[in-house]
Amino acid sequence: MKQNENTSLKKHMGMKAKTRVSNTIIYIILVLMTIIWLFPFVSIVLQSFRGGPVKGMTNEIIPSIWSLENYVALAKTDFFRWYLNTLIMALFVSVLQTVIVLCMSYTLSRFRFKMRKGLMRFMLILGMFPGMLTMIILYRVLKDLGLTQANAVPGLILVYVASSGMGYYVSKGFFDTIPKSLDEAARIDGATRAQVLTKIILPLAKPIVIYTVLTSFMAPWGDFVFARYISFGASKGMNVAVGLFNWLSKDQINSSYTMFCAGGVIVAIPVTIIFMCLQKYYVEGVTGGAVKG
Amino acid sequence: MKLTDLEYLKLPKWRRALIKIAQFFISIPKAFLNLFVKIGQFFKKAGLAIGREIKDIVLTFKNGDWKTRISYVIMGFGNITRGQILRGLLFLLFEGVFLFFMFKPTGGLYWLSMLPSLGKEGPGKAYDPVYDTYVTAYHDNSFQILLYGVLTIFFIIAFIFTWRLNVKQNKLAQQILDSGKKLKSGKDDLRSMVDDNFHKTLLALPLTGIVVFTVMPIVFMILVAFTNYDGTHDGYSNALFTWVGLDNFNTMLGIGSGTKVYAATFGEILLWTLVWAFFATFTNYFLGMLVAMMINKKGIQFKKFWRTVLVMTIAIPQFISLLYVSKMFAQNGMVNQFLQSIGVLKGLDYIHFLDEATPARISVILINIWIGIPYLMLIATGILMNIPQDLYESAKIDGASGWKQYTKITLPYMLFITGPYLLTSFIGNMNNFNVIYLLTGGGPTNSAASTAAGSAGYTDLLITWLFKITTGAESQYYFASVIGILVFMIVAAISLIVYNLMPSVKNEEDFQ
Amino acid sequence: MANVKLTNVVKIYDGNVIAVHDFNLDIRDKEFVVFVGPSGCGKSTTLRMIAGLEEISGGTIEIDGEVVNDLQPKDRDIAMVFQNYALYPHMTVYDNIAFSLRLKKMPEDEVYERVTRAADILGITEYLMRKPRALSGGQRQRVAIGRAMVRDSKVFLMDEPLSNLDAKLRNQMRAEIILLRQKLNTTFVYVTHDQTEAMTLGDRIVIMKDGYIQQVGTPTEVFDMPKNLFVAEFIGAPKMNIMETRLTREGNRWFVAPFGVKIPVEGEKGAALSREYVAEQDILLGIRPEHITLCFQGGEGLIPCSLEVNEMMGSELHLHVTTEDGSRLIVRVPTLGLSTAERESLHQGAKVYLGFESKALHFFSKETENNLLVQE
Repeated sequence: MKQNENTSLKKHMGMKAKTRVSNTIIYIILVLMTIIWLFPFVSIVLQSFRGGPVKGMTNEIIPSIWSLENYVALAKTDFFRWYLNTLIMALFVSVLQTVIVLCMSYTLSRFRFKMRKGLMRFMLILGMFPGMLTMIILYRVLKDLGLTQANAVPGLILVYVASSGMGYYVSKGFFDTIPKSLDEAARIDGATRAQVLTKIILPLAKPIVIYTVLTSFMAPWGDFVFARYISFGASKGMNVAVGLFNWLSKDQINSSYTMFCAGGVIVAIPVTIIFMCLQKYYVEGVTGGAVKG
Repeated sequence: MKLTDLEYLKLPKWRRALIKIAQFFISIPKAFLNLFVKIGQFFKKAGLAIGREIKDIVLTFKNGDWKTRISYVIMGFGNITRGQILRGLLFLLFEGVFLFFMFKPTGGLYWLSMLPSLGKEGPGKAYDPVYDTYVTAYHDNSFQILLYGVLTIFFIIAFIFTWRLNVKQNKLAQQILDSGKKLKSGKDDLRSMVDDNFHKTLLALPLTGIVVFTVMPIVFMILVAFTNYDGTHDGYSNALFTWVGLDNFNTMLGIGSGTKVYAATFGEILLWTLVWAFFATFTNYFLGMLVAMMINKKGIQFKKFWRTVLVMTIAIPQFISLLYVSKMFAQNGMVNQFLQSIGVLKGLDYIHFLDEATPARISVILINIWIGIPYLMLIATGILMNIPQDLYESAKIDGASGWKQYTKITLPYMLFITGPYLLTSFIGNMNNFNVIYLLTGGGPTNSAASTAAGSAGYTDLLITWLFKITTGAESQYYFASVIGILVFMIVAAISLIVYNLMPSVKNEEDFQ
Repeated sequence: MANVKLTNVVKIYDGNVIAVHDFNLDIRDKEFVVFVGPSGCGKSTTLRMIAGLEEISGGTIEIDGEVVNDLQPKDRDIAMVFQNYALYPHMTVYDNIAFSLRLKKMPEDEVYERVTRAADILGITEYLMRKPRALSGGQRQRVAIGRAMVRDSKVFLMDEPLSNLDAKLRNQMRAEIILLRQKLNTTFVYVTHDQTEAMTLGDRIVIMKDGYIQQVGTPTEVFDMPKNLFVAEFIGAPKMNIMETRLTREGNRWFVAPFGVKIPVEGEKGAALSREYVAEQDILLGIRPEHITLCFQGGEGLIPCSLEVNEMMGSELHLHVTTEDGSRLIVRVPTLGLSTAERESLHQGAKVYLGFESKALHFFSKETENNLLVQE
């Protein structure tokens, strides 16, 4: 009897001990991960405050001379011009792209017209071409229109926004989950199709609207290829990504490395704050999008 | 060998697996066959449809009244005379613009006539009497000819469709009037734009954008693959470019007697692109899932904190993190310097994280894990939480261990739900420009391939190679275009095969 | 307040799937018509064509004498209640009900007047400021009805409005719909798959299958005189017992012989068989479970059976019995008509004898499955 109790107790203890061990391992992994994931960002912040004569890379992880000089130095460069460029692009793109994506995805989710399937298939195939290919001609055309180099900002907005209709998948997936009977009820209640959209669907689509605004707002901050190609060599037309990239080129890195860090911090902070505030919607959109394919 | 379901179930496990694998390989040629059959059917259908349309056009003319017949030449005439002024004027305006564009000097007809040659007279020296010297004189512009040629063809197609619509409307109007009903007025048309035809209103802007900024450029670039358009033949300021047929494809694929170095480079880069895409996709997928499961595990505290840390890294623009990390791993970067200072590396030795072929390839895959896990963790968390708990409960009652639960429930469920995502993610990684370009710039340089265009490196993907070719000194646009077309074909083939094999497509309802 | 006339209405999906074939029906003003049938029979599609939510592939639909084929739903002056209620989740109950009135640009005073009156009738006044998600199924249903009610439209359409409710609530709401109908006094078209709802609510019932109308008639007509086997089996629960047999004639007398037991067809049914010049033939004989007489002793014209399952339903018993050749029949017996001893004897395996009364018999042609006595 007593033995029995003992073994069952042991079994119990065994279970508990086992979970404790596995949980400890998980905690260790998670802590290590946190360090690995955060280290570059912490490090970049630290480097941005590094003063002294050496502006290149050093072996200091924690700066020996603390200073704000890198941030001050930014003002003498084109950095804030790039910042403004990017901000303007981000604002325009987030509004226009959201409108276009919503038009496209709502239509494909709600209307059954003759060419619908064909259109979707066509866009799927179109998406298989590397988009980069189009920039060669877009550059020359925009150049003829005077929208490259120093005037790259409107040109880039045009390029970003024009084809954004092809990125309709995620929000279409969301619209598909809103019951169609709501549209029907509203139409019977006397609403036109346009009123169905504005009075019924849009209020319900708030999460996906925010998701679209958020992702399209963030895109110009990270775009590198088109921004570099269209602004080709003209500092006044660059976005932050292209501008900062040049500071790390072989001939500039020794004089601009810490400035790059300071610039990176200034770019990252507002974007990160906005992102973290709207995180919920981003997660929703991303998960929904992956599930729907 | 046809097995019934019951016979199949009686087989031992390994034979069942063999059959599955065999089926997979058998289905690949089938998928292709299917595709060709479908393409054939498409053309047959299209042919029949065109036949029907032509018949209808002829019949409409035969049965039409004089208004309809005049509309065959003067578009919108029927609409205007029948009271649909707005529609009629729009038709008429379109026809006017079209005709003006076609027949004006250096208009549509001119572009079309130049299209076969892409320009006759290149830039040359001309005598300038004022300064008594020779200056460069510019003549034809191949680029413009090709661009406007494509534009003209699009315009003509649009015109044909509009004209057909015009004929159809006449037929319809006649029918409606004959049956004693009223035609829609311009006011009705405007009203229907926010109601019956609201979808057309909504699609107008996005589709115009796509046609102008994606479809036309792609058509143009496909055509460029058949020309010799590059930095030394820019079509205007230095020399004209012209059609060269399949030459560029032959060079790129090593067909014929020309140089083989492009083909070798292409093969090597393609192989690495596929290897990269495979690892980049699946390491992220499984590790992301693992991290999600660890954070979700019962008894783990601060779930929100762990998640937030990872999510925060998504927010920071990739160019900052990637560039910074690439510098951390550079020769004189923080990591090497740190290892030197603690004595792991002697003197000024350093690890070639990013500047030797194999280490660089491994490094980019590892750094990509760093980039990708937070994202995958989010997706996996969302899906894991949606797996019905009763599946696990019944598995536990059936006596399944944790590992069994994972392989029999979690994994199949995840794979099923995320099948299409995995495919898009694989293709996305094939074209993952940012990670490669910002980390290594495609380097280290592949000396064997460096004679080929764009001085390809060991970590170059097809897409970064394409970028290098277009931005490099020679700007061989035609090669970029060839690579683009080949990438398209590879992506399309992969999608087709996978799509046909994917369970989510075949049995949509399995897990629902 | 209006009649609805459907003439040769056809619905074709994707060019080849025919959902509704040649549907003809004239719904009179203020009539309550129920479309009933199994799922996929085209009843909802027909309703949605009346509503304007589905395009009409062929034929015409008239409301109040006007062809509405090309009219948008909003221009047809109809109200509709959906199966899943389709309440706008982001609006309060008040706003939900007021939505259509506001779209018509009605002054707010009148909107208030109408919404509160409807809420009062439906007993949902206290929920007016709540969002739909905070309501129970029955309350949502009332809101949905309220939303349709305030519009004073010509036709009131209901698409399986009760199927998402539990059984108890469904009975209650059914009674309320009858009351509502008396208050609104307008034309109703109601779709359901539940024959009980159809029988209790409808002035006329349209029974559909595979896109074809099987029978149109009052509840009494379709119950007593089902046009074909499908209608006979569909209406009534438990469903009608069907057995194969041969209809024979000896002089002026008719006989059927289910399970080898010869039963004379007498009275009105026999006379009708003669009157309609029915020929001797193989038939499917139908009799409703409640029309079978249960006997405890054998006799002439009685079918010997053994009892398999005895379901006690409260006021009545459902007896599942097997005949000697293994066919299964169901018998409904009122509990009150049996003595305690008789009830106790009804255990599994008990021998019972079934009597068929002539007037309760239905004769269907084996070939066409049409009722031999009900002609067009």
